[in-house]
Amino acid sequence: MSASSEAMVETSPKDELINLALKGGALVAGVADAAAFTAAPESHRPVDLLPGAKSVFVVGGAAPRAGDWRSPNYQHMEVTSINDRITALSLKLAHHVERKFGYYSVGFPPGVDRGQQPFVSVALAAELAGCGTASLAGPVLNAEYGFMYYAAFATTLPMEPDGPPQESACPAPECVEMWNAEGTTPCLSTCPIDKGGCLGGRLEDGKVAERSYDRARCTSRVYNYWVPGFQKALDSILSESDKESRRMMIHSTFFTRTLWSITYANVSQGQCYECMRVCPVGKEHRTLK
Amino acid sequence: MGGAEGVASDSGLGGATPADVDQDPNIAEAEDVKSVALKSGGDVVGIAPADRWDAYVPEGCRPYDILPEAKSVIVVGCRGPSAGAWLSPDHRIMEVNGYDFANDRAVHGIADHIERKYGYYAIQAPALPTGGHQPPMSMMLSAVLSGLGTRSLAANIILNPKYGLLYYSACITTMPLPVDPMLEQDVCPHPMCVATYKKIGKTPCMAACPADEGGCLDGKIGEDGRIEESYYNRERCVSRAMNFGINSFQKYLEKIVNEDDSEKRSQMVYSDFFSRSCSALSFYKESVAQCFECMRVCPIGRDERKLK
Repeated sequence: MSASSEAMVETSPKDELINLALKGGALVAGVADAAAFTAAPESHRPVDLLPGAKSVFVVGGAAPRAGDWRSPNYQHMEVTSINDRITALSLKLAHHVERKFGYYSVGFPPGVDRGQQPFVSVALAAELAGCGTASLAGPVLNAEYGFMYYAAFATTLPMEPDGPPQESACPAPECVEMWNAEGTTPCLSTCPIDKGGCLGGRLEDGKVAERSYDRARCTSRVYNYWVPGFQKALDSILSESDKESRRMMIHSTFFTRTLWSITYANVSQGQCYECMRVCPVGKEHRTLK
Repeated sequence: MGGAEGVASDSGLGGATPADVDQDPNIAEAEDVKSVALKSGGDVVGIAPADRWDAYVPEGCRPYDILPEAKSVIVVGCRGPSAGAWLSPDHRIMEVNGYDFANDRAVHGIADHIERKYGYYAIQAPALPTGGHQPPMSMMLSAVLSGLGTRSLAANIILNPKYGLLYYSACITTMPLPVDPMLEQDVCPHPMCVATYKKIGKTPCMAACPADEGGCLDGKIGEDGRIEESYYNRERCVSRAMNFGINSFQKYLEKIVNEDDSEKRSQMVYSDFFSRSCSALSFYKESVAQCFECMRVCPIGRDERKLK
């Protein structure tokens, strides 16, 4: 099983890495077998990035804090929730493997490659490393903490893989109960696909039997101000024939926010967290005094 | 070599001699500052006196023009890409993972440490262009003056004797510190490159990107085995090494703006090329550079890139 925050005894490179990850702020860490990425398309597997890759080390964390979820200003979440802290930790661990153990390591780039495809799916890596399981809502959910961000690196260092978790974190017992009573779950009801939302699905025997997710619709709502928002605004600005209107569009709050969003200031990365806000998995970590 | 290298525990005193230890009361402070640099992620660190720039740069570009009363400049070098990234057959990996700004983080660690512990002013040296393409302070020159490396035939990149290609940042401070000497021995050309040059008239980097065959590099090595002449076509190199950065964004934006057909314009705005150019500007720092070939063939620091 992947580790969570208990202290570890340093008995192997894997234990040492997990310990460093947890000390560095990760909530969870685990190892996937580099050969287990059979669900990923060719050229998007760890060995395509690093020949001879044996393991994939995954770290998860940098989730919004309990206070972030608590804020009544929904725009607060837009500007604080981001994966770069956990990505930096992963890269640091990759360097540690090379410099201490002498094995090659390559960090999975957090962005996307050609055609908006990830280099290697970090979500798949998280599942194969035992850090979490796919959910009705989309994100990989850790059984203890729920939603978080993940980062990973491939390495030629052989490590004992954790493998996917035996039990799925989704649906939570509360969601099964709600499904039995109302025919929906908290996430499905907050963004129902048949009412203009993004999520659909069906539970059977307490397990997810069917799932539908409108990625395009979700992206258009979650990423209003990032590169797609910038491109959309730019296209509109260039198509505007009236000089005064064009000037107003350029200096508008919307366009300004798209610019903030794509710079290193990384403001307004995501604008919708509603399916995760209602998710009971990890809720106890979001409930404080 | 001049500066300290390796892990913090053997941060050493750079090029300082026992005589310096007797003469300079700040030797322990220098060691402390270097130790912070290495603990903060630096691979090498060197210190140069602020007036060492006098002989090399015009007024306005010296450390004490940027921070009045500056006495010392601490330069930190970091390996960017992991050895695995160099090994990857997917060249895009180097584009995205080629640079992780560890040198900037280390320099901020030093600057905070100096101000808080010793009470001297300390700032990160400005290394990005503020007018034209000229930075207020060259990090390449800073690396040379602090004894961390020397210029190479490969695009004038500063090569460190142990690691080869490194990324550099510097901290300017009013704190007087014992300094490291500049390297006496040129790092480039490597003896293997001298032998290759004698045989085929080119070094590995020149052969990877020959100026006379549409590439960027050319040069001559003298009988003494030192660089006699060096040619670097910066414009050509930039157009190849930075396809998806600010330059490509500006270039493509101009084309988009000048496209009268709104349908075509939309296609250009949403194209993969423009999306990647936007990503390159973003905090994801995607596609910071797209060509590492002259460094890939460089034998200096190769041992550090060969792992299991």
